Parts: sequence; structure tokens; C-alpha cells
Amino acid sequence: MRRRFALPALTVAATAAALLVGVSPALAHGYISSPPSRQANCASGAVANCGDIIYEPQSVEAPKGSMQCNGSGSRFAVLNDNSRNWPAASVGQTVTFNWVLTARHSTATWEYFIGNTRLASFNDGGAQPGATKSHTVNMGGFSGRQTVLARWNIADTAMAFYSCVDLNIGGGTGNPPTNPPTTPPTNPPTTPPTNPPTTPPASGTWRAGVAYAVGSVVTYNGRSYTCRQAHTSLAGWEPPNVPALWA
Amino acid sequence: MGLRKALVVALLVSGCSAPQPETPAPAFNATDVMFLQMALAQVEEGDQVAALAEDRAGDPALRTLATELRGQWREESGTMERWLVGWQQPLEPDPLAGAHAGHGDVHSLRPSDIGELEAARGKTFDRTAVTLLLGHLGNCVETARMETAGGLYPPARTMGETVTSRRQAQVRTLLKMVA
Repeated sequence: MRRRFALPALTVAATAAALLVGVSPALAHGYISSPPSRQANCASGAVANCGDIIYEPQSVEAPKGSMQCNGSGSRFAVLNDNSRNWPAASVGQTVTFNWVLTARHSTATWEYFIGNTRLASFNDGGAQPGATKSHTVNMGGFSGRQTVLARWNIADTAMAFYSCVDLNIGGGTGNPPTNPPTTPPTNPPTTPPTNPPTTPPASGTWRAGVAYAVGSVVTYNGRSYTCRQAHTSLAGWEPPNVPALWA
Repeated sequence: MGLRKALVVALLVSGCSAPQPETPAPAFNATDVMFLQMALAQVEEGDQVAALAEDRAGDPALRTLATELRGQWREESGTMERWLVGWQQPLEPDPLAGAHAGHGDVHSLRPSDIGELEAARGKTFDRTAVTLLLGHLGNCVETARMETAGGLYPPARTMGETVTSRRQAQVRTLLKMVA
């Protein structure tokens, strides 16, 4: 007999669980769509094998104050993984960030960082965002490949939403160099290429500040590249960004 | 003692007003109903944006996507309404249930959002439409995933999967448009 009474109790529990599940969409709220944030690159399929973030790029919510791409939350650690081949958008010194919002919360501030440098902060004073939300931010002299961390700080909760955007910041032209300023030698080097003046890191990892000779082979984000033109590498001239230098 | 008799005895002992012992287990649960009601409301809201985009977008790819989306929504909402009517459930969420209280407003497209879109011109129109659609389709995916996680009625769960994959494909297309 006693067993039969368990049935209604189970039904109540199931209903309560269903209601809890039903409430969960309230946790999702917004992300940067362009230039594409890491979660946008996952949701668009530009980066594969991201896990659950593809269903809810808007859900990177965590307590305020984190400097991590996933807000130091318990989910979406993939967003902190710098070894992923995150595409970097080519931009100039001034970048306009566009948000997609799935809930329009009263907003305290929007903040943008590179490393520990806060590039900009916009105070909405508790207002609700409109149909669109964009901010134009100066990159503060940073150049080359950089990751911008954006934080949307909600006014009436302890939470923020986090979005990291990978950029390749040019010197104001908005584009990475397709033609490197270092002209290839018009006279062939006296030293045969089998013994170049600077020893190329054969099959080493690409680094900035290295003089690469034609034929040098490097790896970058798990891919192998061969140098097409002799040059001294700079941040921002990573092999995938500069096809003129690397193939 | 047969199962039916045992159930009757149990109900009598428990003091419930006994329902028909023949009543089969419910073919749907609260999550199914909530999914269908929320999804119908989302179709109605989102279609305002999609209709404007279909009519006025400068980018032909955006107009094509809006046409596809509206066609899928018509088909999906017809089925959803049929199920709710068959279950004798309201087509709209019960405002007194409390399950939607407190967040229904911030997750909804507001009249002011539609107004901003109507007032926008040229590239601003396209950007506003894409932005509103991306946010709204994100909410649609979450509602559909709620059904897949907690729904009971198998066809509704399948519908949740279909909605998830269709809306995700559209999100991918829209994100590529603005990337």
C-alpha cells in the first residue's frame, strides 16, 4: 500500500523539476556578434567542437569582476582556451562592437579590456538597452593579435555577461599587412639558403621578433607554415594572418 | 487483487476523490504545455521582425532567410496549436501560473524594438533586423531545448529537436552575415 502513495509525490517532484527547467532560459542574455566573439565563432561554426555554448552563446553569465573569457563560471571553459584557433578579425585602432541581447536588463556599465588595461567603460545608469547596442572603442595603441574582454554589468543583480573578441589590430588601416614592409632581397644572399644567417627554428613554434628566411617552417595553432618571403616577424603577422609571408 | 482494484483501494484510503481508474497516464506533461505556449508566443513576436525583414531588407540573403523562417513558423505553429487544442490546454501561458513571472518581459521583443526597426533605413535597417532576429532565435533555441530536456510527449520532443536545429542553422547564417 505504502508504495502507491509514492506516485503522487513523484508527480509533484516531476512537475517541480519541469518548472525549474522552464525557468532556466532566464539565465541567458547577450554576447558580442561583431566583430565575432569567441562564443559567436562557436555558434556560427567558424570554430568546431565548442560544446554546449553553440546552443546558447548568450549564456556566459558569472559574478561581476572576472577577467576570464568565461567569467570564471563553471561552464564554457573552452572560451578560455587560447590554444584554439580563434579567428582574429582585422581592425584598425577604432573598433565598433555590436551586441546581441536575448534579455534587456537594466544595465550598470559596459567595460572593455585588453589584458589588465581598461580601454573603455560606458555607464548606462540603470537604463534598459534598446533594440541594438553598439560601442565604439579606441584600442589605446595596442597592435597585433589581441584579445578584448568585454563585460556587461547588470544593474540589479550581482552578475555580468562576458564576451571575448580576438582581434588583429593594425596601425589604423584596419588591415594586416598583405605586403610586408620588408622587401625581399633583390640580390640573392651570398650564403646558400641551406645555411641562412639566422637559423630558422625548424618546425619550431612561430614567434614574434624572429628573422625568418624563405623556406623556414614553423607551426602555429597546430598548423604548419612555410615562409614565402624573408622577414622579421611582428605581433600581428601570425602565419594565418599574412598569406603573403606564410603558406 | 488486480492492479485496478488495488489502485481504487489506494485512492479511497488516501481520501482522494477517485478519478476514473481507467484514466491512462498523461501523454504530456507541464513542460510540453509550456514549450508549446512559449513557442507560439515567440512565433507571433518574431514574425513581426521577420515580416519586416522579408519586405524591406537590402541584403537578398536576409530576405531569403526571413521567408524561410516565416514558412517554418507557419508550419510549426499549426502543429503546436493542434496539440494544445487536443489536450484542452490554453494557447497562451497562464499569467497566474507564476512560471513566467519576472522574466517574460525582458526576454520578449518590445513594441519599442519593433518601432526602432520600422524607423530604421538602409544598412541600419538590416543591422537592426539581424540583431533582433539573432537575439530572438537564441531565445527560441532555449525554449526548444527545455522541451527536449524535460518534455514527455514524443512528437513534441521531436518538434523541440527540429526547432533547435532549424533555428541554429538560421543563427549560423545570421552570424556569418555580420562577422
